[in-house]
Amino acid sequence: MTTNEQTINEPRRDRLLGVDVGGTFTDFVLLRDGELSIAKRPSTPDDPGRAIIDGLAEFGWSPEEVVHGSTVATNTLLTRSGAPTALITTRGFRDTLVIGRQARPDLYALHPQRHDPLVPQRLRFEVEERVAADGEVITPLNLDQLEAVLDRIERTNTRSVAICFLFSFINPEHEAIAAARARQRGFNVSASYEVLPQHREFERMSTTTANAYLAPVMANYLDAFDEQLGQDREDNVRLRIMQSNGGSISASSAGRNAVRTVLSGPAGGVAGAFAAAEADGFTQAITFDMGGTSADVALCPGRLLERTDLVVDDMPIRTPAVDLHTVGAGGGSIAWFDPGGALRVGPQSAGADPGPAAYGRGALPTVTDAHAVLGRLRPEQQLGGTVSLDVARARQAIATIAEPFGSVEAAAQAVIDVVNANMARALRVISVERGYDPARFSLVAFGGAGPLHACDLADVVGIPQALIPAAPGVLSAAGMLIADITRDTEQGLHLSINPEDEGEIEVLNQAFTAIAAQARSAIAEDGYSDGVSVEYSADLRYRGQSHELTVSLNAGHHAAAVRDAFHESHRERFGFASLDTPVEVVTARAKARHSGYRGDVAVSRASSQDQSWTASVTWDRPRETQIMTRGSVSEPVSGPAIITQIDTTVTVPPAWTATPLPTGSLLLRRDS
Amino acid sequence: MSAVNIDPARLAIFDSLVGSIAEEMGAALRHTALSPNIKERADFSCAVFDHEGQLLAQAAHIPVHLGAMPESVRAVERLAPWRPGDLAILNDPFLGGTHLPDVTMVSPVFAHDFAGDDQPIGYVASRAHQADIGGMAPGSMPVARELIQEGLVIPPIRLYRAGELVEEAMDLILRNVRTPDERRGDFNAQIAAQRLGEQRIADLYASYGANTYRQTTQALLDYGERLTRAALANLPHGSWQFSDSLDDDGHTDDPVPIKLKLTLDEDRAHFDFSDTAPQRAASINAVAPVTRSACYYVIRCLLPPDTPMNSGLFRPITFTLPERSIVAAQSPVAVAAGNVETSQRIVDTVWGAFEQLLPERMPAASSGTMNNLTAGGVDPRTGQPWAYYETSGGGLGAGPEGPGLDAAHSHMTNTLNTPAEALELAYPLRIIENSVRPRSGGGGYHRGGHGLIRRTQFLGPAQLTLITERRRQRPWGVRGGEPGRSGRNSLETVSSTGKSVRRKLPGKVTINVEAGDIVRVETPGGGGWGEAESG
Repeated sequence: MTTNEQTINEPRRDRLLGVDVGGTFTDFVLLRDGELSIAKRPSTPDDPGRAIIDGLAEFGWSPEEVVHGSTVATNTLLTRSGAPTALITTRGFRDTLVIGRQARPDLYALHPQRHDPLVPQRLRFEVEERVAADGEVITPLNLDQLEAVLDRIERTNTRSVAICFLFSFINPEHEAIAAARARQRGFNVSASYEVLPQHREFERMSTTTANAYLAPVMANYLDAFDEQLGQDREDNVRLRIMQSNGGSISASSAGRNAVRTVLSGPAGGVAGAFAAAEADGFTQAITFDMGGTSADVALCPGRLLERTDLVVDDMPIRTPAVDLHTVGAGGGSIAWFDPGGALRVGPQSAGADPGPAAYGRGALPTVTDAHAVLGRLRPEQQLGGTVSLDVARARQAIATIAEPFGSVEAAAQAVIDVVNANMARALRVISVERGYDPARFSLVAFGGAGPLHACDLADVVGIPQALIPAAPGVLSAAGMLIADITRDTEQGLHLSINPEDEGEIEVLNQAFTAIAAQARSAIAEDGYSDGVSVEYSADLRYRGQSHELTVSLNAGHHAAAVRDAFHESHRERFGFASLDTPVEVVTARAKARHSGYRGDVAVSRASSQDQSWTASVTWDRPRETQIMTRGSVSEPVSGPAIITQIDTTVTVPPAWTATPLPTGSLLLRRDS
Repeated sequence: MSAVNIDPARLAIFDSLVGSIAEEMGAALRHTALSPNIKERADFSCAVFDHEGQLLAQAAHIPVHLGAMPESVRAVERLAPWRPGDLAILNDPFLGGTHLPDVTMVSPVFAHDFAGDDQPIGYVASRAHQADIGGMAPGSMPVARELIQEGLVIPPIRLYRAGELVEEAMDLILRNVRTPDERRGDFNAQIAAQRLGEQRIADLYASYGANTYRQTTQALLDYGERLTRAALANLPHGSWQFSDSLDDDGHTDDPVPIKLKLTLDEDRAHFDFSDTAPQRAASINAVAPVTRSACYYVIRCLLPPDTPMNSGLFRPITFTLPERSIVAAQSPVAVAAGNVETSQRIVDTVWGAFEQLLPERMPAASSGTMNNLTAGGVDPRTGQPWAYYETSGGGLGAGPEGPGLDAAHSHMTNTLNTPAEALELAYPLRIIENSVRPRSGGGGYHRGGHGLIRRTQFLGPAQLTLITERRRQRPWGVRGGEPGRSGRNSLETVSSTGKSVRRKLPGKVTINVEAGDIVRVETPGGGGWGEAESG
């Protein structure tokens, strides 16, 4: 797999390690001499890097390059434990972080609440300056005021500063001066024209502030981790961090652009699941990760889709992220009757403690209990290797809601139907509502509970087949392993693309040239200057619209080609194109990409316990059902069947067939 | 009551399915509309109905549309019989509408296997606030006396007949509005949402089969009714009175009182607005559907989170609305402010009544106004006409759980603001300041939320209309909390000698402004909760 042309700038593919740090477990996938090994260790939430260092020592692994999915940025945001941060902005706008878009989060709350902004009022400062919408300076930057503000910030011992001036995405002059002055004084500066040069002041300010708040924490963590990794080694281990959009960056870049890693972990899962589907030849995939408390779904039409409208605790984070939709439906979701008598499942979850009744401590009926009652989760098989399944207790729990259904089994099936309906709604949001027909996709199911629901969910939504990757428990870490190295740059613009006006296209192409150069130089700083390709896209809209579509383009396009690409995307997504309306460019985007590992990420499974037996499992009615361990599936299995493995259980309902693929994946298809 | 045998899981699943159809319509409308008012501010709602016009699901971003949409479906009955592809449009507040800028489309849904004289199996509707629908001021929210001054009145008419656009109707409408291209784009977005909804309902009907579909829809409505009855059963029983008032009607200085007697018994609520002020020759008149929406909104706040929205919820709720009053206006008076301002005061009145029986749950009064600003003119940069509408939030009432939110929309609206960086690119306007208004929230054990200060500069001559409330009276506190500060409007101009002058403006006014003038809107704070601790 390594080639003779490999240069020193290539990722070192001999001993490459993907690590996903989860809340409970830290997963490892090591690629060594073309062989993949997987391992798990309990996470160490107080110092997430320790589990990795200890794991490497325990397994005797010495990778040359580590790609790491980090929860540091997310946790720092959610627990509000970032660096004290000051904000400097245009006079008249210092409360923008409080006002936001002036909406309350819950329409019908008696007493609506919002999270406080990251920067308190005493650290939000204004300076006199103003740039107009066309980029013209209408009030010069008052440098005396700026210095006075920096003095005041210094006196508060705040070291991290966010700077966001109005229209800096069109004319960054004032912001650049302010950033330079602040850096001269040794402040850790995030300037909005560097972090996110796009229009809409609240969203840009929020993203920039989050970066200023996270960057010092992230940098400290990575420095310490890097040092530990490098100890007792001759050469440094190269460390990369997964970004929210599924591409990785060097640790030093991640330290400066921490806000780009907020969805690091989930991005690994989507990237890993999509890679597994691609390896099996399925390029149109919907990834479906169902765990204990929630399910994440993402649509991948031949590529990872990105979104730029993430919101964390009322804070918009507008940097690119995998387009993930989360719904409060997991194995631990609790079933209950609302006051009108309808059966609801979730969003409350029994969590890990007490957990579902079937795991011995809980008493409330959960989705897991419903599976245990129906025999789809097997008492013969230990869950997660340690917990045994208490079917009698699960039955007791489901019996508490069984009255309207006539039997405990019917109630259990009802619980599963309702949770499937909740997840189906999420799947429709990401597919049908965006103009994609689910019938053209494969559902890639993983997570502890995903493969239990894959066929039912596929049926409800009209997806013809489901795929269960070989190692669904470590897909995120595998996603890290195969992550490309990418750098994204963008530039806010305000251009009209008219067929008769090639001048505006010239401006767009100049912007593309500039941001492509930025992206290339950034990726070169990360150590990758050869084998780098650049992809271009732009956020476009019809004049008068205020919602943009991101459309892939080539640099050097003609106006007509840009317009056509937009009309086509608009038609695909919304069902119509408005050919007579002028098209506007709002943001130009470039992505520099250096390919990561491109090989098999399938893991052949140990077959020491391969066995199969039969038991009665309730489907539409109780049926004699084949129960098999995953390793024993060597040829197509007709449903009904249950296939168990250490980290998940796959259901093959009647009229479905499971076929093992060469990669180790299972393909589930409805019999025609 | 029907005793249809639909199990509790089927009910939840069907509710999820019709709910996602309404949401899908909303997503289509929002993504394809042209104007910031719909796209950025999400000032619209979409809804799905059964064959009798009963609401099955609503994707409501705007509470003022709650429960008012079924009136539109009733109003288009006059156009029956229907054919597939028909689509009705209306905005007449006295015939299914609320106020003129809210343009509603309703279309019948037919089964896929439609034959000859089949009746519709249901209806879908969408309502969107159009940025201009003609009349005496850009934005169609003038300080008016008669409805006819406020804009073009569209009674229920067909915009499509059997799938064919009635071009004369569209031409007539577009000729009567200030920004016809934008209107056409927004209408097309509404039409796209309607067609999508029709398709999805017909698919759902086909997958359930006629009988099961009808039984399930009726079971869903019964279920909604049970939800409300269960919530009401947990409240104290009895009668409570409360009154509040609008500052003025925009033409005289007299306050306009709203009086409520709320009666709760076993599992019903009755809202009696007898003794409320008669309608005025002004725009503060609310039509009955707006009043009912305001009451439904408060009831909805008392129901559990995730409660679905259907007509069944409203069955246990009854009204006494005096005819030709400001809570049940009739032709020919103007109504624009009834929808946006009087609706807020109706909520305050209902809120105050409930506060007496639920002191441990209910917060104090919120800012009580949407601070409506409309403006328009000719853009000096392009020579094109422009029209702009925005609303601003204020302070929310403090409650037993803590202080009120600062600078947020309350109760009957939740529309987003327009970013300065979007607004200034699109209109000859500049935002000079957008800040939290200090010390405007009422004091108390928990303080009320602070209002906003928003200063907007005009870059060319324009006509400006403000329709604002709580400029004289203050949002009340409860349990010893102080009221929030009242709002203030003013105009900052530069005199010929170069001196900056600030002139106070009334709460409701239309004026002409010049390039360089700045309109300053200071919005009210929320009421405080509980007595402040001394020291």
